[in-house]
Amino acid sequence: MFCEKAIEIIRELHRMGDGQLPAFNEDGIRQVLEEMKALYEQNQSDVNEAKSEGKSELIPTIKFRHCCLLRNQRCIAAYLYDRLLRIRTLRWEYGSVLPTNIRFHMCAEELEWFNQYKKSLATFMRSLGGEEGLDITQDMKPPKSLYIEVRCLKDHGEFEIDDGTIILLKKNSQHFLPRWKCEQLIRQGVLEHIMS
Amino acid sequence: MLTLTLLFTNFCDLTIDLFLHYFQRVALLVSSDIDALCACKILQALFHCDQVQYTLVPVTGWQDLGTAFLEHKEQFRCFVLINCGANVDLLETLQPEEDSIFFICDTHRPVDVVNVYNDTQVKLMIKQDDDLGVPSYDDIFRDEEEEGGDDSGNESDGGSEPSGKRRRYDEGEVERRIERQRATREWEARRREILFDYEQYEYHGTSAAMVIFELAWVLTKDTKDMLWWAIIGLTDQWVHDKITHMKYVTDIATLQRHVSRHNHRNEDEDNSLSIDCMRISFEYDLRLALYQHWSLFESICNSSYTSCNFKLWSMHGQKKLQEFLADMGLPLKQVKQKFNSMDMSVKENLREVIEESSNKYGMKDIRIQTFGVHFGFKNHFLASDVVHATASLLESTEKDDSPGDNFIKALDCLSRSNLERLHGGIDLAKKKLMAIQQTVASCICTNLILSQGPFLYCYLLEGTPDVKLFSKPMALTLLCKYLLKAFVRSTRNKRCKLLPLIIAAPMDVEKRTVIVLGIPPESETSDKKNFFGRAFEKAAESTSSRTLHDHFDTSIIELKMEDRTKFLDALITLLS
Repeated sequence: MFCEKAIEIIRELHRMGDGQLPAFNEDGIRQVLEEMKALYEQNQSDVNEAKSEGKSELIPTIKFRHCCLLRNQRCIAAYLYDRLLRIRTLRWEYGSVLPTNIRFHMCAEELEWFNQYKKSLATFMRSLGGEEGLDITQDMKPPKSLYIEVRCLKDHGEFEIDDGTIILLKKNSQHFLPRWKCEQLIRQGVLEHIMS
Repeated sequence: MLTLTLLFTNFCDLTIDLFLHYFQRVALLVSSDIDALCACKILQALFHCDQVQYTLVPVTGWQDLGTAFLEHKEQFRCFVLINCGANVDLLETLQPEEDSIFFICDTHRPVDVVNVYNDTQVKLMIKQDDDLGVPSYDDIFRDEEEEGGDDSGNESDGGSEPSGKRRRYDEGEVERRIERQRATREWEARRREILFDYEQYEYHGTSAAMVIFELAWVLTKDTKDMLWWAIIGLTDQWVHDKITHMKYVTDIATLQRHVSRHNHRNEDEDNSLSIDCMRISFEYDLRLALYQHWSLFESICNSSYTSCNFKLWSMHGQKKLQEFLADMGLPLKQVKQKFNSMDMSVKENLREVIEESSNKYGMKDIRIQTFGVHFGFKNHFLASDVVHATASLLESTEKDDSPGDNFIKALDCLSRSNLERLHGGIDLAKKKLMAIQQTVASCICTNLILSQGPFLYCYLLEGTPDVKLFSKPMALTLLCKYLLKAFVRSTRNKRCKLLPLIIAAPMDVEKRTVIVLGIPPESETSDKKNFFGRAFEKAAESTSSRTLHDHFDTSIIELKMEDRTKFLDALITLLS
């Protein structure tokens, strides 16, 4: 049945809920594009035939194939767009440098798009707040205090904070650090915020 | 009104405000005992107030301390040591840079003389009225320039004179030199004696948590939570028998003043606080461990005071207990069920009823001054409950727990928001107390405690049930004290009642080591001073036994199993 492959790749993306980015399904997209190409060529020849020989009984078939083509196009567009939205949230979550395993899941064009998005966001942030710009990706929720207490959940090695001092993050050590420095590591699961 | 001024010795009036100006960041090295944990919590709260950045590192012994220091010495200039580091020459052990500063809040006494007299790098946090008994400077340290100056002066004088007179000066000079050498030898002998007397006995000073609470109070940043932690720190010293009864009562009085001050608002009928707020109250409560979270019967059976007085390891003792309960008119059914489910009529005057009956059975001090905390309708804890719970969490012997994990769990359970952890700790504590009771009963009944002459000795074999619990210092200390009390009660030998006790238990089965600890003799007026630290060191040296003196209390060591016998023999010879 036509358009089944398209639905399959959408289902696969939908299954990976919660903003995770699965690997780019090159194969699936290629198959759908091939299907679309085949349908288009068939339609092309049928249209020519219908025009030249006046075979009006081919028209429903042509309409049907056209619907399939539109359907496939819509599915692929939805797939690509959803992935782009997920990649955009990754920038807000992980910062400007993505972990390598996530980068492997993106195709070259998506990486290109990500870089462009990063640049746009950076330009925008620089334009705010006077001279130095304002980093709006921090403090997504209003912070209660400047410094927070964090506990180290795994050995992370050395970590540098704003004034240049280096902190050794060893398992089970606790630190009292500026909030903005810890947010990244808390999201990554290296540190745990302690509320007493 | 008493003025409680906090004196940092070495004549330097540094307070936490100056912390912020001099140092950006502080490394907190905290020992693994409850008092240190409480002090740490108070200090953390103070740091949060003033936004001092810090890093907290738990340490379990000297090696840990050394490693932690090496790891962090690049990044930190200011170190705060809690309950570790005072009784050893710190600068010699750690070899820090010139600009590193150490603030030490340690209850271990005697404080090493080098630490006391160091002007620049070591700052001790000790209360003004805590008498250290440190020998005076001139008795221990001597400037070496004094000797050189005299000689060179005489020589130059002698050299400029003509030869006749010079001979006379030479003789005078030789005499003076002999005199000086004799004086030096005398001074050195006296110095050795003074140092020996000073360092012979190990004991504990004021609770670290209380000292840091005083600091918070001086800075007017104290809160009820901090006061509660200070109370727990003091109660830990009492539960683990580190301070004398007099000192405990004095410190309780000090804390009582703070409690009254904080409770001032409760007395105002119109604006009284909500039931969910934390209230600390002074209690003259029973000396029964965990009795409000257990059944009364279990608590009586597993508390060392009652168990030793009744001698509950014997049939006779069990009968006496039944009589005692009958005398108070408490039905067995009531007494054996959970305390919270006992009838109100029974619970009403329970403390007074028990006190009256206990007096008849020779237990004059069944009640002890302590504090309790209420928050919400359900949550009521005595300070000793929290101490037992935290100690069990800190020394938990579950498989996957590393010492670091245990430290974090114990630290967490001190916060009021982690009640499940506290209840978990109470359950573990119940198991520990039952294990201690059973071990004591079996040791007494099988006569496992033997007199070796100058001391009593007990060795827990590897197959003993729950012996894993006793591979940890605090649990083993509790067992040891309980055992000695029980032994003194059960033996007829008058001389043995005055002896100290050494206990040994398997520590690490793979490495084949045992943990050995010694406690002073049991007596009403004991000053809790322990001489085993030095004795162990000397015995280990003389027999070249393979020992590890890693623990901050010098009376607790780790020893290789094979060297046990010769080590003991050396101790016997040493102490006879």
